Amino acid sequence: MSDLFIELQGITKRFPGVVANDRIGLAVHRGEIHAIVGENGAGKSTLMRVLYGLYQPDEGAIAVKGHAVTIDSPRRALELGIGMVHQHFMLIPVFTVAENVILGSEPVWRFGRLRMREAQQRVAELCRQYGFVLDPAAEVGSLSVGEQQRVEIIKVLYRGAELLILDEPTAVLVPQEVDELFNNLRQLVAQGKTVIFISHKLDEVLAISDQITVLRRGRVVGTVPAAGTTKAQLAEMMVGRPVLVELAHPPVEPGPVRLDVRQVRVPGRGTRPAVRDVSFAVRAGEIYGIAGVEGNGQTELVETLVGLRRITGGRLLIDGRDVTHATARAIRLMGVAHIPEDRHRRGIALPMAVWENMILGHHTRGEFTHGALLDRPAIRGFVRRRVGDYDIRVADVEAPVLALSGGNQQKVVVAREFSFAPQVLVAAQPTRGLDIGATEFVMRQLLAARSSGMAVLLVSANLEEILSLSDRVGVMYGGALVAEFARGEVSAAELGLYMTGAGRTGEARAG
Amino acid sequence: MKHRLLVLQMATPVLAILFGMLSASVIILAIGRNPLDVYAVMVRFNLTRTDSLFSILFKTTPLIFAGLAVALSFRVSLFNIGVEGQYYIGAFCAALVGFSMRGLPAVLHLPLALLAAAVGAMVWALLPIVLKLRRGAHEVITTIMMNYIASALLLYLINDVFRDPTQIGTPRVRTPLVAAAARVPSLGPLLAPLGLHGSDVEKLNLLLPVGIVIAVVLAYFLSRTRFGYEVRAVAFNPLAAEAAGIPNARVQFGMFMLSAGIAGLVGLNDILGFFGYLDIDFPKGLGFLGISVALLAKNNPLGVIPAALLFGFLDRGAAGVQFFARVPKEIIVILQALIILAIVVAYELLTRYVRIQRKREAELPVTAAPVAEATGR
Amino acid sequence: MEYVTSLFSVALLASAIRVTMPILLASLGAVHAERGGVVNIGLEGIMIMGTFFGAVGAYAFDAQFPFLAKTWPDLAPLAGVLAAIAAGLLFGLIHALVTITFRVDQIISGVALNLLAGGLARFLNILLFEKATQSPGVRGFTPIDIPLLRDLPALRPLVTGVSPIIITGVALVAVSQWVLRRTRFGLRLRAVGEYPLAADTLGVNVYRLRYAGVLLSGALAGMAGAYLAIEQAHLYFEGMTQGRGFIALAAMIFGNWWPVGALGASALFGYFDALSLRVVRLPVPYQFINVLPHIVTILVLAGFVRRARMPAADGVPYTKEEE
Repeated sequence: MSDLFIELQGITKRFPGVVANDRIGLAVHRGEIHAIVGENGAGKSTLMRVLYGLYQPDEGAIAVKGHAVTIDSPRRALELGIGMVHQHFMLIPVFTVAENVILGSEPVWRFGRLRMREAQQRVAELCRQYGFVLDPAAEVGSLSVGEQQRVEIIKVLYRGAELLILDEPTAVLVPQEVDELFNNLRQLVAQGKTVIFISHKLDEVLAISDQITVLRRGRVVGTVPAAGTTKAQLAEMMVGRPVLVELAHPPVEPGPVRLDVRQVRVPGRGTRPAVRDVSFAVRAGEIYGIAGVEGNGQTELVETLVGLRRITGGRLLIDGRDVTHATARAIRLMGVAHIPEDRHRRGIALPMAVWENMILGHHTRGEFTHGALLDRPAIRGFVRRRVGDYDIRVADVEAPVLALSGGNQQKVVVAREFSFAPQVLVAAQPTRGLDIGATEFVMRQLLAARSSGMAVLLVSANLEEILSLSDRVGVMYGGALVAEFARGEVSAAELGLYMTGAGRTGEARAG
Repeated sequence: MKHRLLVLQMATPVLAILFGMLSASVIILAIGRNPLDVYAVMVRFNLTRTDSLFSILFKTTPLIFAGLAVALSFRVSLFNIGVEGQYYIGAFCAALVGFSMRGLPAVLHLPLALLAAAVGAMVWALLPIVLKLRRGAHEVITTIMMNYIASALLLYLINDVFRDPTQIGTPRVRTPLVAAAARVPSLGPLLAPLGLHGSDVEKLNLLLPVGIVIAVVLAYFLSRTRFGYEVRAVAFNPLAAEAAGIPNARVQFGMFMLSAGIAGLVGLNDILGFFGYLDIDFPKGLGFLGISVALLAKNNPLGVIPAALLFGFLDRGAAGVQFFARVPKEIIVILQALIILAIVVAYELLTRYVRIQRKREAELPVTAAPVAEATGR
Repeated sequence: MEYVTSLFSVALLASAIRVTMPILLASLGAVHAERGGVVNIGLEGIMIMGTFFGAVGAYAFDAQFPFLAKTWPDLAPLAGVLAAIAAGLLFGLIHALVTITFRVDQIISGVALNLLAGGLARFLNILLFEKATQSPGVRGFTPIDIPLLRDLPALRPLVTGVSPIIITGVALVAVSQWVLRRTRFGLRLRAVGEYPLAADTLGVNVYRLRYAGVLLSGALAGMAGAYLAIEQAHLYFEGMTQGRGFIALAAMIFGNWWPVGALGASALFGYFDALSLRVVRLPVPYQFINVLPHIVTILVLAGFVRRARMPAADGVPYTKEEE
């Protein structure tokens, strides 16, 4: 832990209208696990892209192993021994593990012929060295999320990286997989590698790092050792004010069952169904949380509930009425609101104006139409009111919604969906990609919905969110609902076990 | 800022046209002629002769319909390259109704012929759109195939089945004459009181104002109605539109059928307005010109009118260029294609520029967050 | 009964292979472009340019260098082929520039290219030969008889009088298949068509590879046109491509974006094309026989599209992060 591996001084990066990195200084020692924390938009990913050569800093200096360097491309970064493990995996699903690892640095014979056998051997060797379990000939698309992440790590190790930058690596992992990852990191560090770890999950950061640097609004707030620092201290540094960690969860008397899911079966790609005989009910005035690692059928379940997917078995009732084969439009008209897990995909049309997005799905209502024509003044009034109610930061509602920040875009979705007194709210990953302020806002809205008598279904991979908001919690694994608990009956760790298929029986997860 | 944007948006097509002309100049120079001379001749020929002015308007008429047809399909992210085949079929159906029914009053016969044209084209477009919506078959390839099949079909029908018996023995291969009641009335009588006479004036027919009216109606329809809103949503994000309860497939089908219906009318300017029969050498290529018109107009129905005018102008100029400047008239086709290439590049660059500007201004300055977050995840 | 046997005669097969070549070559080109992620609808236009420059190149060489042309009779057609490839590369370059660098919609660029090619062909033909619709005749390559196989009487129509372009074409299919599967270039090209961002982060030059794919498609489509004009029709006439550039795209889809698959699919289309040339006594009017390949194309797209798996990033323009 003696010499500095990498040192940044005065790094500044500007974009039109904003300074993403403002005179940032960072010192990371060899063999260290150094975490960088901050809210979304604090400048973490920009900084990492500067380190990795995707962006050039406007000002400042970088020194690697004591020498001043310019990192002008990812290739150069790799030459210097810096390797990036992306949050959104840069893997080609149809290629094998080996093919993905060697892409860009392929070993070749004459005429560019690939030396695949050599590549596979090298990959296998690296796996052995660092304790990873991977089959070099496996198609990446068939691997689990944790395994895919390991492929990403092998990619940089293959290129001789000594410094590994991990960008939000635990965002898609369950607690058990996080433990596995941390073990791998410790083993890497033990063999002389250095790790920079970007995250906003303070518990994990405190568990694994040696040093923590906090960014806020593009600037370094401070660098502290993990030992002796508390979560609250970090949160305060991140946000600049004491953060509300607990949200009030008042007791609410649940009403009649609004959303009734009975033995619902939804086909998947191939022979296995995506959703297998799932049954649960959500009453008015309660939040039913579904926890689960993404890819276990939640997406398909949510799409089915809002009418975007066909049900091949079972029944779906809303307010007692059978909607098993109803269209999305019919379900919407029955008072079902939907906050989609990917707002850019299902929630908003980026090139369309803010006001147009605000009425998407409600555009046929009598309030907004005169027969076949749109009633522009009425719509404008509605939009103005919503922008005010939800404090949406927008200068011009005629501008396309892509100009808004992620948090404000989500506010548009929330404002829209909460309008017209829905009876049922289906919220999927509602706080994904949002900073602390926006996250808090959304969580408050969900609680307010609950208090006002809405039946709320919350699907989330964020255990903290599920546990703090829900009245009852279900766990989805492999397309089935494998467990159900009441509030307070279960811990995060235990949920994690169910989420990975091991149950109360204590079975170890196969493979 | 809005002011600057507006100026840019108007300047872009002009600049692109100029660039197209510049590129064509290179070819003109390469064959040893003076480009300035050529353009001057074209302008003089088109604008200083009254027969030219009306000829331009006559040529513009079918282009309005073709441009509208293509623009409508582009609006729902579908590429109706089959306008060409659809108007062949439409022209035939109109001619069929025109010459096979006798004794009907004009007030019945003409609308019937128009209806037949539209419906025939719509039927022709059914297969590609159904295959696209049901099986994901790329409509570009299927509609182009339908064009070739339409061409073959028409050859067969005009030559072997419906050939005018009075024409056998002559090199003319055409259908029988269409009943007078089915002809589109000329605008001659309307323009005569204004002192405008001549065969070129009489060539102009009711389809020109009809086309303009349709363009205006479509513009209103797309921007002010619920359906128009749904069309936008489907074009910009079909997944979000679906989640909002919009019946995507129905919207796309409707617009494609509308597109085909209008396409069917493209040939009528010549068939019912001028010739009065369907000849084996009837005007072809209007469908592809329609694509150019739609692209220049950015798929805006109102923009189709000036865009069609430009292409009509260029089309007329071809004759002048060939006769007076001794450059093969095909240079005009090349010019048109170069303009289109320049236009689409220019529009793309403009859109991107506007997007960046929009991003900068739409948000009230709050924290250091916005752009980094938007480009980050 | 004689219908049926005539449907499968060796002579017909031989004809099918000859007729298939333009579609095959163009389809092969399409595979490379789309594997890189760029849709090239303009192949028809490039093929038109190929037919024109192929015929004109051969004719001009003959006219300008009569001594050389007589001593080595294969030089003239070769000149035509090279001219066609050059034209194809130029047009491919335009498409690449417009769609990769300027990121214009690939379909629109292709459509515009087709318009340009059509107009240019007509224009140049008038300029050079004063007839809008056809060029003077040209000689083809000296046909080759495949050694050993030519002595088998049953196979005679198949292996005698084979154009060198056919042999080249089949060889190119084998080479491309190998390149795509087993070389660095092939791996990178496919990566760029599946997930360009991932490739970019590993230092792969997305733009350069996409350009390569599109340029290859232009060269091959040009060659396809040259073959059509020089070896099949022995002249250029307007509209001779008859939509084969589009049929080639269908063959690519049907062949699941692999060269070997494109070969099989093109063979199918070629078979129907050849059939249409030979059938004389059928109850269907002759005009429809001509469009048999087009009908088959629609059937193919209707039936088989779902099963095929296209490159994930096909048709999507790529923007480098910082732009």
